[in-house]
Amino acid sequence: MLSFEIMNISSPLILQQAVAEIEKCNDFTSQFGLMLAHRDAVELVETRALALKNNGRIEFGGGVLDKIIREFCHSPYISMYNYAETLHDLTEIFYFYKNETLDLLSDDDLLKFMKDSFDGKCQGSLELLAGRALANMARQLRYGDDMNESEPLTNAEEDEDDEY
Amino acid sequence: MTNIEKHYIIDPNSLSSESYFASLLQEAYICGLLSALDIEKIQMQCLAFLAYKSERYNGGESSSIRVEVAENIMKSNLYTIGLYLKSLPDADCAANELKTATISEMYQKGRGIINVKFQAAQHVYKLTQKNKMDTLNYTYNATLNDDGIGIFFKTYNPNFEAHEIPAAIDYQLCNSATDLAGVEFIQKYLESLYFENEFCANFAAADIHHLLFGYDEGYQDLLINIFEQVLTAALGCSLAQRNVMKLAISADEIQSLQKELSSYDDHALSIMVAKATEKVLDELNIVSLPLQRYIEQSLPKITTSIAQALKTNNLDKVFISPVNPGLISKIEFSSGVKMDDANYRKLINELLICRYSADKLSLINESVKSFDDLEDVLFDAQLNEGEITMVFSMLENVELAALLRRHPFKSNIQAVDLSEAEQAVRLSLKKYINHLPTDRQEQIFKIMTCLTAEKQAVFQ
Repeated sequence: MLSFEIMNISSPLILQQAVAEIEKCNDFTSQFGLMLAHRDAVELVETRALALKNNGRIEFGGGVLDKIIREFCHSPYISMYNYAETLHDLTEIFYFYKNETLDLLSDDDLLKFMKDSFDGKCQGSLELLAGRALANMARQLRYGDDMNESEPLTNAEEDEDDEY
Repeated sequence: MTNIEKHYIIDPNSLSSESYFASLLQEAYICGLLSALDIEKIQMQCLAFLAYKSERYNGGESSSIRVEVAENIMKSNLYTIGLYLKSLPDADCAANELKTATISEMYQKGRGIINVKFQAAQHVYKLTQKNKMDTLNYTYNATLNDDGIGIFFKTYNPNFEAHEIPAAIDYQLCNSATDLAGVEFIQKYLESLYFENEFCANFAAADIHHLLFGYDEGYQDLLINIFEQVLTAALGCSLAQRNVMKLAISADEIQSLQKELSSYDDHALSIMVAKATEKVLDELNIVSLPLQRYIEQSLPKITTSIAQALKTNNLDKVFISPVNPGLISKIEFSSGVKMDDANYRKLINELLICRYSADKLSLINESVKSFDDLEDVLFDAQLNEGEITMVFSMLENVELAALLRRHPFKSNIQAVDLSEAEQAVRLSLKKYINHLPTDRQEQIFKIMTCLTAEKQAVFQ
């Protein structure tokens, strides 16, 4: 009873608050034709909790979900058809790369990089985003290189990219 | 007479000094000073405060944090609050404070105490450097240096790792600072070290060196507490009615003490040691009360060692006779001239084709005139174990000692790194020495310790 177990801080109240914050984002995303139902919001919060647990992290307050939504809602590669599913994947990718980048990047910088890569050379591919762009950036960051100076894709790599 | 001592609801002995906050919550709940609701409220406040501190840790740039980092921040917060609660008059008062004050308020007060303790520790660190002992002991010197305990003052992070002790502290104190953490530990450690230095400053560095050399000639590399050795020796001198200042007690006096003290039970022995301590304090004119108290705290440990040694008839392991390394006779060798390569090759070829062991031995006896050549022959001539043993039997004690010093057989594990020939020689030498009469073995070992580091022997 007297322990300070900080892994189990997801009280129902905090979860409800997080769901409400996500639903509130609908006001902003509706202009792009993107809406999340209550059930979607609950599932997204659950995905966040699982991603945090799997990556050995904890988050206080509303978290980063509303930032992900606001950053990606105007992506040309996201529509109502893949909106919720993409958010689930982006949430998992985000927390994974927070660890991989050794917490050296702020949430905003990481999200900006993800958005630019997703809309840019990954052309909406989550596999390329996670497996190539972010992986390269994390490796360069760990070895002390500038993250903007990523290796140019060779012809062979470009061919590989086409497979996605 | 009526006892007017205040009665406390929480037993202070049941509280942990290291995790004061958590243990206080536990005890306050058990004693009924805090309800389950109070505890829950405090826990929620702690989590809210952790959220605030995590945000500060991230500089507001990240909403999530690694679990281990958050746990560390939580420990740091609880430690800081614990420091404040510990500063209150008693545990009941601290439990009451938990009900009335917020976590944030208590943390701020605890943080203030950390600042004060940090500065106090820094001051004591300077004092310990001033009264530092002049000794060869490595751990003592390495600990009391800017790369040892000094690191703490450069790297301590009271905001997020207040409970950590980022310093290289290998030197063990006589009264170790247990059940403490963070700056509290460092302050206590340095204060204790200061007292130990202060006591040892009453003796000449050379006398302490001789005492420790008597304890172990390799004391430079040992993890020993110098103060404990010095105090024990001073007590020994006092018990033997000797002058304390020189820390010199002879083997005969130790024997007499063994006879005299054996008749005492533990209680009587404690009284004897306490009286001897008073004499030591008088003789050294130690008037500082904190130092006297520190010495008194060290007595139970020393008394137990004495009692144990008396029971096992090993008082000479507790009271040490000093040894002046400068007065130990040394044996210095000058190696004979090695034979030239052509002659050596010729000798080895002859030995390899030689059929009988007796012929090999006479050949070695005739041709080998230097200790280094003998070593080479042992490795190169492919002698069997019996022949190697026969070569050893031709050697005098001093040569065997020199050989043993160069080629000790310590363990099978160590032998793995050696060549097959060297393994065979070392093993044969060990077996040969073990089969010698005990008094001859002792003579050889004694000579070994007297050999100078430059081990060059004359083989005649």
